[in-house]
Amino acid sequence: MKKAIRTLLATSILAASFPLAAETKVGFIYVGPKTDYGYNYAQDQGRLYLEENMDDVETVFFENIPENADVQRVMERMVRSGVEVVFPTSYGYLDHALKVAEKYPDVHFAHSGGLKTSDNLMTYFAEIDQAMYLSGIAAGLTTETNQLGFIAAHPIPQVLRNINAFTRGAQSVNPDVTTSVIWTSSWSDPTKEAEAAEALISGGADVLTGHVDSPINYVQVAERRGVYSVGYHADASQFAPEGWLVGAVWNWGPMMVDIVNSAQDGTWKSEHLRGDLLTGAAQLSDFGSAVSEEDQQTVLDRQKAIMDEQFQVWAGPVVGQDGTILVAEGEVMTLEETEKMDFLVEGVKGRLK
Amino acid sequence: MESFITELLTLLFAALRSATPVLAVVLGEAMTQRSGVINLGVEGQMLLGAMTGFAVASITGDPWLGVLAACGAGVALSMVHAILVLGCGANQIASGVAVLILGGGLSAYYGIPFVGDRIDTLGNLNHTFVSDIPLLGQFLGPITPTVLITLLAIPAISIFLFRTRLGLRWRSTGESQDITRNLGHNPVPYQLGAIAFGGLMSGFAGAALAVDYTANWVEGMTAGRGLVAVGLVIVARWNPWYALPAALLFGASEALNLKLQSWGLPISPYLLATLPYLIPLTVLMLSYRGLRASGGGMPAGLRVVFQSAR
Repeated sequence: MKKAIRTLLATSILAASFPLAAETKVGFIYVGPKTDYGYNYAQDQGRLYLEENMDDVETVFFENIPENADVQRVMERMVRSGVEVVFPTSYGYLDHALKVAEKYPDVHFAHSGGLKTSDNLMTYFAEIDQAMYLSGIAAGLTTETNQLGFIAAHPIPQVLRNINAFTRGAQSVNPDVTTSVIWTSSWSDPTKEAEAAEALISGGADVLTGHVDSPINYVQVAERRGVYSVGYHADASQFAPEGWLVGAVWNWGPMMVDIVNSAQDGTWKSEHLRGDLLTGAAQLSDFGSAVSEEDQQTVLDRQKAIMDEQFQVWAGPVVGQDGTILVAEGEVMTLEETEKMDFLVEGVKGRLK
Repeated sequence: MESFITELLTLLFAALRSATPVLAVVLGEAMTQRSGVINLGVEGQMLLGAMTGFAVASITGDPWLGVLAACGAGVALSMVHAILVLGCGANQIASGVAVLILGGGLSAYYGIPFVGDRIDTLGNLNHTFVSDIPLLGQFLGPITPTVLITLLAIPAISIFLFRTRLGLRWRSTGESQDITRNLGHNPVPYQLGAIAFGGLMSGFAGAALAVDYTANWVEGMTAGRGLVAVGLVIVARWNPWYALPAALLFGASEALNLKLQSWGLPISPYLLATLPYLIPLTVLMLSYRGLRASGGGMPAGLRVVFQSAR
């Protein structure tokens, strides 16, 4: 059924867009619904930015495409209908995208968050853990119980980076802070996320954040229970007018414009393009009224230090959960190392595997 | 000691919260199966109920209207099963699976415009007399209306099923359609009512998730709870009173998984995540020892569904 609707939708989109083939066609593939108010929503906002800011670009998109051979079929279909730049936006699309890219050397592929490239496949991502570090500072300054709660989907490097960055940020202003992690084993299970939030709050946490598809569930529970929340992926402040502190959000638009431009004018590079706070691809959302002016300034000062490259989130000492020193003082983790992160830092309560 | 009791009560009420949608579905499905019809599509009905309830609550601004609409959507989708099974004599298992997939697809498609909407919730018992009760007040206060309604449904269903003439015929339909016919009653209206009631309860369960508990709609948000409920009907032996401990068992295992993690115990989260499935399965196996001959209370008419004769 789903497949039938998808095919129907796809055919009608492709048919409708066929007469305008003179423009550069850009195709997007999402693993979930573009309205998930989270990861896919953020990617789709980038697509809309692209449409708005480039006159000679036209976009098509497919939602709910699983991370299996299905996505190859979708990419082939896109390419055959004249799409010249493909954005496979989900982590698990990488190997499939590499196969299709090999088959169509004239088409450009930009994968989100991958660690492999080929001649016509580059990757783009942003160091959003910088924004999570800053959010952690706001959380560390706000908490009264010194317990933070983190609702996490799966223990993959991107998630671990955020848990660790958030905790380190909080510890930088409040050394007594600990972060309790609950794994939900799913990118999207609203009931479990809400129940995990309840469990964390009744366990004493008074600032909640998370890394699941949408922040809405835990942010709403936090608001109902009268504790604070930090968002992720998208600004959810409207769901918590009282307890919203701040959040880490994406802004893919400008980066996507650069990628499409480089494909058009031949300056395309097969590389790992990474944005950060400075390029604006990862951002800190607006502060909620629960954060005092003074605390806001503390966060913004640190943000300036990061942007001026005077401070680095992954500068040593980085201490693991069991107290071993993973990165010595004076050393800094490389991008390669952070993108393969497989540990939790001291002060995080919870098991990795 | 006091903190231990507090933790235990926290866990119990968390279990009740997690169990409520599942309990509603178990009650509805047990009633459906009591009439000799099995409906595997309850998960789809839950999803359509959740989406419809959330959408109506978002449009009208009234969450109670959302709950009503969710019940209606559940009944409407269950009628697809009724038409296929009672009208066309289709295989009940196949028809149920069709309803399951249809509900998932319809809710995903029509739910798109409502993702990220903000709705008012149904409220809770805080600031009523119960929240002033010492010790228990802090736990009773956050209880929401769908929990109460579902709990009240247990005695209501039980009285209907075991203390009324209509309930007797309902059960006799499930035991043997032939005997029911010989007694001069048409079994079809009972089975139709039974399927509709299952639809009502699963639609309501969807509303309990989307309108009451999370106040959010996400595609596929039931995450298999409807199918778990179909399994728990067997654990509950088709008895509305046993439905409560059966659903609580699932709710408690789910709550325990999250609770143990929040305590930071050195147990693998992957192992803990299997608890909600492992514990009911173990109970099912233990409780069925020696019950095999009686079929554990399964309505005799239901056996026909699993035999090739039909």
